[in-house]
Amino acid sequence: MSAALAGRAVTRLAARQIQRGGLIVVAVTAGMSALVAATYASTMGTEADAAALAALAGNPAIRTLFGEPVALDTPGGFTVWRTGTVLAVLLSVWGLLAVTRTTRGEEEAGRWSLLLAGRLGVRAVLGRHLLVLAGVMGAVGVAVTGALVAAGTPAAGAVRHGAGLALAGLFAVALAALAAQVFPTRAGATGATVAVLGVGLLARMVGDGVAALAWLRWLSPFGLLALTRPYLDDRSLPLVVLAAGAVVVGAAAIVLAGRRDVGGGLVAGTAGRPPRRLLLGSVPRFALRRLLRPLAGWAAGVGAYFLLIGVLATSMTRFLADNPRFAELAAQAGFAGLSSVRGYAATLFALLAVPVGTFAAVRLGAFAAAEADRRLTLLYALPVTRRRLLGAEALTVVAGSVVLLAVAAVATWAGAASVGADLPLAAALAGTLNVLPVVLLCAGAAVLALGWVPRAVAGVGALPAAGGFLLQVVADSVGAPAWVAHLSPFAHLAAVPATGVNWPAALTMIVLALVAAALGVAGHQRRDLIG
Amino acid sequence: MSAPAIRTEALTKRYGTVSALDGLDLTVPAGEVFGFLGPNGAGKSTTIRLLLGLARPTSGRAWIFGSDAADVAAAHQRLAYVPADVALWPRLTGAEVLELLGAVGPGVDRAYRDELVRRFALDLSKPAGAYSTGNRQKVALVAAFATRAPLLVLDEPTSGLDPLMEREFRRAVAEARADGRTVFLCSHQLAEVEAVCDRVGILRAGKLVDVATVPDLRALHRTEVLVRFAGPAPDLRDVPGVGAVERGADGALRFTLTGPPGPALRQITAADVTAVSMREPTLEEIFLDYYGEQP
Repeated sequence: MSAALAGRAVTRLAARQIQRGGLIVVAVTAGMSALVAATYASTMGTEADAAALAALAGNPAIRTLFGEPVALDTPGGFTVWRTGTVLAVLLSVWGLLAVTRTTRGEEEAGRWSLLLAGRLGVRAVLGRHLLVLAGVMGAVGVAVTGALVAAGTPAAGAVRHGAGLALAGLFAVALAALAAQVFPTRAGATGATVAVLGVGLLARMVGDGVAALAWLRWLSPFGLLALTRPYLDDRSLPLVVLAAGAVVVGAAAIVLAGRRDVGGGLVAGTAGRPPRRLLLGSVPRFALRRLLRPLAGWAAGVGAYFLLIGVLATSMTRFLADNPRFAELAAQAGFAGLSSVRGYAATLFALLAVPVGTFAAVRLGAFAAAEADRRLTLLYALPVTRRRLLGAEALTVVAGSVVLLAVAAVATWAGAASVGADLPLAAALAGTLNVLPVVLLCAGAAVLALGWVPRAVAGVGALPAAGGFLLQVVADSVGAPAWVAHLSPFAHLAAVPATGVNWPAALTMIVLALVAAALGVAGHQRRDLIG
Repeated sequence: MSAPAIRTEALTKRYGTVSALDGLDLTVPAGEVFGFLGPNGAGKSTTIRLLLGLARPTSGRAWIFGSDAADVAAAHQRLAYVPADVALWPRLTGAEVLELLGAVGPGVDRAYRDELVRRFALDLSKPAGAYSTGNRQKVALVAAFATRAPLLVLDEPTSGLDPLMEREFRRAVAEARADGRTVFLCSHQLAEVEAVCDRVGILRAGKLVDVATVPDLRALHRTEVLVRFAGPAPDLRDVPGVGAVERGADGALRFTLTGPPGPALRQITAADVTAVSMREPTLEEIFLDYYGEQP
């Protein structure tokens, strides 16, 4: 086989592994952009006055949390403000997970040894995987631009926003490829990339909120995206910087790929160490041991974000109390009651269901992955029932989720206390624990998937939180019929601590979660193990 | 102990329309070292997955020492398993893997485990992610033998081991047999099966085609015979059991003999025989006889 044919075969392999996710990402980014832009007139009206917009743009809290509002009086500008950061994060996360899964993950599983015994070297194989993902990001850029132009927004802004999203995704892809050369495991590479991008997002938030640190935005992909200011200034320089950053990082990844051993990273694995016997003595203890490291990472991210939320409590609520028009707009976009500290905290605590629900889904997904690559076989061959193994795992994951909720409460309370906002710890805890039923729905859905579709655990598990949240945002933004919005669990969350818990809804969700989990356990009991 | 270590009754597993295992009836009495042979895809691993309750039978049942194989809490108290392709948690060291399997498993003889670690020359301080295939296999073997469980289910346990380690493996099997433990050994290393197994079961396309002791299997199969004659050689072509008759340039007659040797011997002794040599088939030849071409 000629080298060109071999190259095409590798490209096809790379494309096959990401085609489904790629199509979904293109459809979601273009679809959400088009939907919000096309329904702009019905949600915003055209009477938003310049003074109120100036006040909004000047408020540090608004800028920190939602990005700098630019050209909100146009459908394009509103769409960018409303969806830009969410879609950039979505694209980056998908892109980085796709890279670490198809490159480091395949290498770790030993499948690349076979591939690299062929004609292509590791640089060529990595390069082709990156090109395929760059193609997906390019398609995202074209689709978003096309959708925004079709919705009637000016082409100059549509091109800047589409290109910005594509380049932010591309940067995440390049960064993940670099991390995959440095770290010898998929989990290590994913964690490092998420950490760097998380710091980038924080840099964008701080840069948007604090004028003196505005330059920080030039160092963050999300900041550069905001600096293009589509539909107002339509700047190109930030996009050039972002593109250059992605190319440099990607090139570094390909250069470094040639300087390491296949199967190894630039950071060598440990050669040997004395045994750490803690948390190995039983199935639940071992489940806890595997949970601690990822839990620490998630807790750091969630804690940092909610500390910031707490610090911003007073400046945000004061602004909204002074500008009722924006309180009204925010309510329309699903952020009601922002003008009191408790209402503000309640609104942002509802968001917490998304990361914590995703955490539960991802951890149970890791359990399914361990079954698929046969790490669990030796445990299943011990005198332990399947129900006990799955039960210990699910309960440990739920306990970890409760810890995350508590971390968020303590962080928000500490932040609020530092600026003298009135948010007692008990109120913060009540607010974060209020989303526990949604998290349980995620865990229940993940266990259900583990019993019946074990290859789709993380996706099905994240659906109640991530899918429910997207559904609520879209339904609120476009004024969908009530029954559509009511499909989302978020429609049934009370604004705790501003109000009491919606007990009937909470109990319904808990019962649904338990039923899903019971069905999952039954399915897991009767099926063959995979792998 | 009266219950057999392994008993299956019409054990059947179908994946869609493909039949992986078709009505397996097998009994392995306690204390026996049983070899389970068959080409790739014959259903050996499927059988083991069913015996361990990792897969659910389409029909039929299996028992481990009289308890239902699906009741793993009871059945697995009395067995230890080494999978064909050992996957370990990459961040746990060998010592930590042994600790986990020992704590959750059916008990462990720590002194014997330490001895096995020494004999298999296993470096327990390395994280499992840095182990080679053979080292991962050694971890699983040490964990399994050290349980002193009455039944050992071993699926291709030596495919990654060097000859020195394979010798240690045979020693460990011999020790297990001396303790009265049962070993169910799935292997392609026919010399190894021949050396350690009391009885052998042969599986083909999901069906058990033969179960016998190794000497019995030999008796059922072709023995290679070489006879030299002073005078003309007798005609053996129509004698029952005789095949592949070949006349050498030196007047020697070579043929294979299957079944009772009487008729062939009578024909030969009628002539003037100067030398006879007989060679029993190796298990490999028997195996190839079942599955394919002669070597």
